[in-house]
Amino acid sequence: MFAHILRRILSVAFTFIVVSIIIFSMMHAVPGGPFDANDMPVSEAVRAKMMAQWGLDQPLHVQYLNYMWGVLHLDFGVPFQSPGETVVELISRAWVPSLILGGSGVLIGAPLGILLGMAAALNRNTWIDYFASTLATFGLTIPVFVTSMLLILIFAVWLNWLPASGWPQPNRWILPIACYAAIPLATYARYTRSAVLDTLNRPFVTVLRAKGLSERRIIFQHVMRNSAIPLVTVFLPMFIGTATGSIFVEAMFRVPGLGAYFVSSIEVRDYTLQMALMLLITFMYCLAYLLSDIAYALLNPRIRVGGAE
Amino acid sequence: MNAFVRLAGVLVAATALSAPVLAQTTVVAPSGSTAGTYMDYMKTVYDRGTGSELLQIPIATFDKEFELTPMAAESWTQSEDGLTWTFKLRSGLVWSDGEPLTAEDFVFALQRAATSGYDFAWYWDFAGGIKGWKEVTEGTADVSTLGLKAVDDLTIEVTTVAPKPYFPSVTSLWYPVPKHKVDELGDDWALDVSTIVSSGPFEIESWEKSNNSVVLTKSDTYTGPWSPMIDRLELDPTLNAPEVGLPAFLAGDADYSFLNTGQVPVATARYPDGIRKNAVFATSYISYDLDAAPFNDVNVRRAFYYAVDRDELTSTVLKDIAIPAGSILPPGYPGYNPDIAAEAVFDPEKAKQFLADAGFPNGEGFPDVEIWYREEGGYNGAIVPAMAQYLQAEFKEVLGISLNIRALPGPEWMDGLRGKKNNIFIAPYEYDYLDPSNFYGIFYNGGRHGYFVPEYDEIIAKADSESDWDTRYKLYGEAEQLMIDQGLIVPLVHPVTIAVVSDQLTGDGVQPNSLGFTQLDRLGHYFFTHITKQ
Repeated sequence: MFAHILRRILSVAFTFIVVSIIIFSMMHAVPGGPFDANDMPVSEAVRAKMMAQWGLDQPLHVQYLNYMWGVLHLDFGVPFQSPGETVVELISRAWVPSLILGGSGVLIGAPLGILLGMAAALNRNTWIDYFASTLATFGLTIPVFVTSMLLILIFAVWLNWLPASGWPQPNRWILPIACYAAIPLATYARYTRSAVLDTLNRPFVTVLRAKGLSERRIIFQHVMRNSAIPLVTVFLPMFIGTATGSIFVEAMFRVPGLGAYFVSSIEVRDYTLQMALMLLITFMYCLAYLLSDIAYALLNPRIRVGGAE
Repeated sequence: MNAFVRLAGVLVAATALSAPVLAQTTVVAPSGSTAGTYMDYMKTVYDRGTGSELLQIPIATFDKEFELTPMAAESWTQSEDGLTWTFKLRSGLVWSDGEPLTAEDFVFALQRAATSGYDFAWYWDFAGGIKGWKEVTEGTADVSTLGLKAVDDLTIEVTTVAPKPYFPSVTSLWYPVPKHKVDELGDDWALDVSTIVSSGPFEIESWEKSNNSVVLTKSDTYTGPWSPMIDRLELDPTLNAPEVGLPAFLAGDADYSFLNTGQVPVATARYPDGIRKNAVFATSYISYDLDAAPFNDVNVRRAFYYAVDRDELTSTVLKDIAIPAGSILPPGYPGYNPDIAAEAVFDPEKAKQFLADAGFPNGEGFPDVEIWYREEGGYNGAIVPAMAQYLQAEFKEVLGISLNIRALPGPEWMDGLRGKKNNIFIAPYEYDYLDPSNFYGIFYNGGRHGYFVPEYDEIIAKADSESDWDTRYKLYGEAEQLMIDQGLIVPLVHPVTIAVVSDQLTGDGVQPNSLGFTQLDRLGHYFFTHITKQ
C-alpha cells in the first residue's frame, strides 16, 4: 500500500512536469501577449518596458525554469491582472465562494441523488422510478445557465422570496447552490439506479434472501456497499469539477469566485495565473484518483491497490 | 410572444409590489470591465479598477450636451503661437487625506505615464501631441524635456509639438496622481482601499477584486464642481451583461440595466417611461491591408463600400442596437457632416461595376477572403458577430464572393491587425475625447491600421493644428471625402445602447439630452453626480 502511494506520488510529480511543459508551451505559442493593446497599437518601446518588468523578455526556457523553481517553493508568482497580491493569495481569496457554493452543491446534490436513485431502483417501473428518471434527464440535459435563469425568474423575480444574485449574504447562496446541486443530483440518481439494479440481480443477493436476511439488511448492508464502487469513481472528479467554480453559474449569480479567472487568465494572457490554475487542477485530479483508489480498497477488499489481486 | 409579455408583466407586477426600501440613497449600477489592476486611471486604462475616474477630478469634462466644462481647472488660455496652453487650477482642492491638490500632481501623473509603460500612452502622443512625448516614452530623451511644467501650485503649462486647438477636450482624460502617496508607497498606493486617496466627487469604501466591483461614497472633502446627490454608489461590472442585469433589476437589486435585443420589447412594454437610449460615439467599420491583394485595388474597396445595405442591416439583425454609419464620425459628434454620410448608399449595380472594373466580374476569380473580428462583450459583442454573418450573406449575394469569418480574442486580433496577418477586418472604435481629430487620427500616419496615405496625412496634419474651427471642420470633411473616394474603410454602423431605468432614479442625469440620448456608460462625472434616488 505505502509503496503504491509512493509510486503514485512520483507519478503525480511526473504528470505535473509534463503538464506544466505542455501548458507553458501552448500558452506562449498562442499569438498576442499580455501587454498588447486592444484598441490602438502600443509602441514597441512601451511594450518592451512592460515585458521586461515582468521578466517576459527572457528566453522561454529560462522563464519556464524560473517559474518552476518558484513553484517548488510554493511561489506561483504575481498575477498580471491583480498586481497587488500573489497568485496564491488570489486563489485562496477567490476560491472561497466557489468552494462554498460548489462544495455545498455536491454535498447536497450527491446524497439526494443517491436516495433518489435507490428509490427508483427499489421501485422499478413505478411512478417513483419515472419521476426520478425524468428529473435526472432534465438535470443532465438543461444547461446550467438556463437552470439559473429559470431559478432567478421564479424565486427572485416572480415570487420574490430570494435575491436574484450577488454576494456575500448567505441568503444569496441558496439559488446558486440549488443550481450547482442539479448536476450531481442527476448524475448520482442515474448511476445509483443502475448500480443498485445491477447488484440486486447478482446471485449473492438471492443467496442472502434464501438465508432469510431481512430486506432492509440486504439493501443497506450488502447492496449499497457493493453498489458504491461506481459512485466512488464519479464522486471526487465531480467534486473537483464543481468546487473549482463554474464560469456560468458564477456569472449568472454574480459570485466573485474562481470560475471567471479560468477564462480571464487565458483571455488576457495572464501567464502566471494560467499556469497556477492548470497546475492546481492537475494536482487536484491526481489527488482525487489516488484517494479514489484507497476508497476502492476500503470498500471492496478484493480490490488491491497496485493491481495485484 | 404575447404569452411572454404577459408572463413578464406578472413578474414585474410581483416585483413592484414587494420592492425593498433602502434606507440610504445607494445607487446600484452596472459598470465596465470585470478585471481591474490599479485604481489609478493614469497607471492603466484598459485594466483599471472600476470607478477610478470618479475618484479623481479631471482638468475638464463633458456634460450631457457634450459641452466641455472646467473641473480642476478654473480657466485656460492658449499662447499666441498656439503651442502653449496655460491651465489655472481652482484653489482649495484637496486630496481625501487632507493634502492639498497641486499642479505638481497633474504634471507628475503625465511624467510617470510617459516613463513607466502606461497602456494609454499613445493617447498623449496621438491626441495630446505633447512636446517630447514620443522621445521620452521611447527612452531616448529625459523626462525633464517633456512639454509640461508646474509653474506654481495652481498653474500648469503644456507645450505641444504643433498647435492643438482642441487640447482642452483632451484634458478630459487627465487626472491627478497623489505624488505624496507615490513617494511613500510607489504605484502600490492604488492597490488597496486603505491607501487609496481621491480628489474627485467620490471616495472609495470597498473594492471586490474578484469581479472588480466597488462601493463609492460621497466625498466629504471635495470642493470642486458637481457634488454628488447620492450617498453611496455601487458599481458592479457583473451587472453589465443584460442577461444578468435585467433579472437583477426586476428583482430590485439594480437601479438600471442595459438591454439586449430580445429584452427591448418586453422592457419597453412594461416600463415605457424607463427606457433610455444612447447613441454611443463609436463606429464599426471594415478596414483592409491596403498593400495586399485583392484590397490593394481601390475598385475592390469601392465595390465593398457600395455592397452594404445599412438600412436593412440596422432594421433587421441589428434592430434597436445600431444605426447606419455613413461616416467614421457618428451623428451629433463635433464635425459630423450629414452630406458626406449620405454618400454611403447601398448600390448593388455600382458595386458590381467596381468589382468588374477590378477584374472580377460577378466575383469570378476573386480569392477567398476571411474577415477577422475581435471577440468581446458589451455592445460590440451584440453587434459585430451578427453583422459579420450579414456581410457574409450580402457580399455573396451582391458581389458573388465568398467571405469567411473568424473571431479572435483581443490580443490576437490586434496582433493580426498590427502585423498585417490578414487583409480585411471588422474594427470597432469608441471615442476617447470629443473632437474629430480623435477618429481621423486612427488612420493618420500608420495609426491603428498601418495606413500610410500621404494625401490623407497631409490634410489631417493641417486640420489638427488649424485654429479656425470652420476651416478645421472643412478640412476634416475633405479627409472624409478622400476616405470614401479611396475606399479606405467601409463605415458600417454606430452602436446604440438601450437601458431600462428605475422610476426611483431621478435628476438631470437620467433625463435625455437635446439629441434624445442619455449617457449611462460614459461621462460618469456628469451622470453620477446628477442623479438622485427617492
